[in-house]
Amino acid sequence: MNLEKVISGFFIILAMTLNFGFFYGEPTDTTLHSTYELFLALIISLIATVLKIGDKTQIGSVLLATSLVADIQLIAAVLVWTFAQYTGEVDGKTTATIVSLSGGALLANITSVILYIGETLKSKR
Amino acid sequence: MNDNALWIILQRLRTPLLVLLVSYAISILGLVLIPGMDDKGEVYQMSFFDAFYFISYTASTIGFGETPYAFTYEQRLWVIVCIYLTVLGWFYAIGSLVSIISDKKLRLEIMRGRFKTRIETIKGEFIIVLGYNYVNAKIIQKLLHADLNVVLVDAKEDKINEFLLEDYSKSVPVMVGNALTTHMLIDAGIKKKTCITVIATFYKEEKNLRIAILTKFLNPKAEVIAKSTFNEISTSISDTDIVHRENPFEIFGKRFDIALTSPHVLILENWIYHNADLSDNTIYLPKGKYIICGYGRLGRVLKEQLDKHEMEYVFIDEAKIAKRDMKEPKSLLRANADDKEVLLSAGIKEAVCLVSGTQSDIDNLSILITAKKLNPDLYLIARENTMEEVSIFEAAKINWIIMLERILINKTSLQLIDPLKHSFLKMILNQNELWASTLVNLLKNQLGANPILIALSISEKSAYAIYHEIQLGKNIPIEVLLTSLKDRSNKHKAIILLLKRQGKEILLPQNEFLKLGDEILFACDQEAKEEIELIASNLYDLCYAYLGEEKKNWLFKKIFSS
Repeated sequence: MNLEKVISGFFIILAMTLNFGFFYGEPTDTTLHSTYELFLALIISLIATVLKIGDKTQIGSVLLATSLVADIQLIAAVLVWTFAQYTGEVDGKTTATIVSLSGGALLANITSVILYIGETLKSKR
Repeated sequence: MNDNALWIILQRLRTPLLVLLVSYAISILGLVLIPGMDDKGEVYQMSFFDAFYFISYTASTIGFGETPYAFTYEQRLWVIVCIYLTVLGWFYAIGSLVSIISDKKLRLEIMRGRFKTRIETIKGEFIIVLGYNYVNAKIIQKLLHADLNVVLVDAKEDKINEFLLEDYSKSVPVMVGNALTTHMLIDAGIKKKTCITVIATFYKEEKNLRIAILTKFLNPKAEVIAKSTFNEISTSISDTDIVHRENPFEIFGKRFDIALTSPHVLILENWIYHNADLSDNTIYLPKGKYIICGYGRLGRVLKEQLDKHEMEYVFIDEAKIAKRDMKEPKSLLRANADDKEVLLSAGIKEAVCLVSGTQSDIDNLSILITAKKLNPDLYLIARENTMEEVSIFEAAKINWIIMLERILINKTSLQLIDPLKHSFLKMILNQNELWASTLVNLLKNQLGANPILIALSISEKSAYAIYHEIQLGKNIPIEVLLTSLKDRSNKHKAIILLLKRQGKEILLPQNEFLKLGDEILFACDQEAKEEIELIASNLYDLCYAYLGEEKKNWLFKKIFSS
């Protein structure tokens, strides 16, 4: 068992699950989407990104790219939320935007997990 | 920036980034969860934005104060934790970043990236110089002066910095690296078609051999100029086929031979190398007994020549000399040459020439001074090993100074910069004394003691007028170039030394007609140089020199002929 693999696998999958948790629920209903969950999803996604840095292989590069996509989507969602909160009101329309942005991040995270599993299966050891 | 350098930075920054991320996350989360009190005394929860804002300026030690409202004691307690956590995190991150930037490996990677890009962008042919020593420094100087592209590789950073401090007209891609490795040579562009020559003059000659072999495999079309003075290495280097092997001792041996048989050839050579002018007469070696101090590589070469010319000689050397080298024990003294008694017993009084050819400059000078006292009429030949003491040797009034490094510099750079002069030199070295003295006298009488050498090639670029006339089918004799533009019946001060045509070389050509692609070497004075260039490139001047009439403007020609 490789401790490094456990840690990076843990964060990659946790990034996806947290992201899903935030994304799940009626998109226009503000009460179903928690700020804490978005915050944690972003932090974990960033940690996963840093963990992926430094692998120069082909699959490593693609993994890093998917993570970067998820980060950008989540940061965009956070920014939209912040703007909305301090310049107006967080209504159903804004929530829908935030949730759909996190949905994009979810797709990237799923791709990342699939690639990660694929790489693990391919490895002979 | 180069790919490798970027990866090194990212990989090293992983831990600091993680530390920063986690410390920020914990601090922000804590601030959001701990209830605060607003200005009206009501309980409120800090938003993520406020928390992030507060932590951002606290962590970077800017500290704007407590926002949006003054903190409660619970909050302040947590802020203390945050400060130590995040500020230390930042210091750690910045510290790692600074240490990465000053990292030697990273700097080399960045340098390599820049080096490779610059090699890619070199326009035209280039020469790779390996190692920055005195010889190579002079060669680079001459190559750059002749507007050739140079690439330099040295294993030591200090040497590269020393080179960068020199003031050269052209910028040279430099790299710190071991030139003996294949990937370093590939980085230096050895595989490119435009790489024409590799120069290796390492003191350790196995390195030169290695470079020669590597080059043969990496780019068989590139030439290698390698220094080699030891026999076994010379043979292996020659076996690689692509190498110009330069052995300064051998070159000197040949010169010594020529000096004994045909000194005028040597006068010509020194003039071509700009060492002396044509009236120089220090080269005439006396006949008689020779005393040679030092029996190493130089001594062996001299012995061979002296044997060939059946001269009397005595060698003095402290070291033990193999018996097979010395068949006549009379001609060898095993003693310290820098000793009056030793020199006297070697017969310094009746000797005509003394060669001090040991590996130590100070020994050589000291031997010369002692010998000169014993016999003031001696012809002195001294070997100088390090170019740093040139001035002392020049002041010592020595008839002939052997500077091995200068021999290497002259030969290598002439070969690369002036191939035509080099071929001329190669041809005259095989001529006899009569031929050479005739030429020297001719040059001296017609052009003075120090004429200049110019090369002209019949191409569209350098000889526009002649090129076009030949394309029109006209036969232009080579003597046209010598016609004076002031008066057609006279000639200006120039002598044609060499005509090179399709690999064939004709010494002192006469009655030849010019062809496209010819290369011609002239000896001339400054005025004649300008006239030759005018005749070659200006249609009107060519017409006057060739036909003796002014060329008609094509417009007038049309009007008058119709």
